[in-house]
Amino acid sequence: MVIWLFAAVVGFQGRSSDSQAEDQRSLQRAASGDSGGLAALYDRHGRGVYSLAIRILGDEGDAEEVTQDVFAQAWRRAAQYDESRGTVAAWLLVMARTRAIDRFRARRVRPEGRLQEDDGLTLQQLPATNPDVASEMMAAERGQRVRRALDGLPFLQRVAIELAYFEGLSQREIAERLEQPLGTVKTRMRLGLLKLRDALVEVQP
Amino acid sequence: MNAAHDELKHDAAAYALGVLEPAERAAFEAHLGSCAECAADVRQMRLAASALPHTVPQLSPPSHLRERILSAHQPRPSIDGPRRVVTPEKGARLSWLQIAAMLVIGAGVFFYAQRMQTRVSNLEAQLRQAQTLVAAAERQTLEARNVAVRAQSAMGVFAAPDVARIDLAGQAAAQTARARALWSRARGMVFTVSNLPALPPGRVYQVWVVTAQAPVSAGLLTPDASGGGSVYFETPVDILPPVAVAVTLEPAGGVPAPTGAMYLVGKPSPL
Repeated sequence: MVIWLFAAVVGFQGRSSDSQAEDQRSLQRAASGDSGGLAALYDRHGRGVYSLAIRILGDEGDAEEVTQDVFAQAWRRAAQYDESRGTVAAWLLVMARTRAIDRFRARRVRPEGRLQEDDGLTLQQLPATNPDVASEMMAAERGQRVRRALDGLPFLQRVAIELAYFEGLSQREIAERLEQPLGTVKTRMRLGLLKLRDALVEVQP
Repeated sequence: MNAAHDELKHDAAAYALGVLEPAERAAFEAHLGSCAECAADVRQMRLAASALPHTVPQLSPPSHLRERILSAHQPRPSIDGPRRVVTPEKGARLSWLQIAAMLVIGAGVFFYAQRMQTRVSNLEAQLRQAQTLVAAAERQTLEARNVAVRAQSAMGVFAAPDVARIDLAGQAAAQTARARALWSRARGMVFTVSNLPALPPGRVYQVWVVTAQAPVSAGLLTPDASGGGSVYFETPVDILPPVAVAVTLEPAGGVPAPTGAMYLVGKPSPL
């Protein structure tokens, strides 16, 4: 039983770091001007990038443009990718999220019909505090489990996290949207994220 | 340092999700350098955040997208290849018939292009309209989900085995106001109120669950035109049993601890 568990965990890790190594090779090919490298990256991550953009924008045409932008940027900046900041997959998804939310904000119309001014809130890039690349790859493998954990969170915790991640709303904006005190939003976001993280590191029975 | 930590640790989640406002972010990062506890929190929360993009339904992009992306990044063909310069043959003259044919074709192409342009701008307008509708529909869906979950949660309170009833009486500021709370430790609180005075601008009613330790905010309340309303609050699971429920008038957005005048208060009674 214990051996089986161990094998399962190692198997997860092994498969994930293989695909990260493969991604890095593809990225190096792209950096040297070989479009085959870009094709390989697209075949592995095009679906993930496109699906995230659809979730944020709810529009297929916009999601296609965001996807195209992300891979154009990956092609241009392939040489600047830094593994110590996270996996290639995470790098592509962060670009997808940032671009999709920028586009979402640009087209967002207030209920009164007035186009919303830029609120000066710029989505920060992935912070570079000791990223745990191995665990992050495990996260990708366990999307299904996190989906279930997310669905299992109390309403406020889940919606606060979703509004922050998928709409890029600040805590203040979330408090306004949900008609809750700012302090409540902060504690719910914290509780929810920690619970998700617990779901992520549990060893599969 | 500790006071700063107690306040700033609540920003770790927003930091990990990348949505702190610039000033908040600067303050949090300054604190992060010297606080091992917050640094550990951020690491854990980033791990959770990095899994979020994998929770969305996976959809296949249309096949033409792959071609579009790859064709935009083909190695560029050399421009300096052998070039053929075409020079018209000397002495070749266009006949009147050829000129007339060209004029007719030219005019035809011109009108066709104009018609296409009109159609394209019509289609663009329709597309923009459709996008606006989709955005509005998305918002309505979120609101409907919000309402549905609240209704479901409220039903859960009525049926809870540990449900307690708390009747609230109007205080000096609102003597005719009445309210009733049904409270379950596990399932939250349903709160119904009538005859509350209209809110002054910039103010909101805040509902408090008063425990043996301290009042805990249950949420904000904006009554309808008749001063009535019914809301569902999700209360923290680890809350102590309430010794009272109260309503105060507070600045818009709510406050962490009550500051304003008390409008309603009541103690639990067995159902």
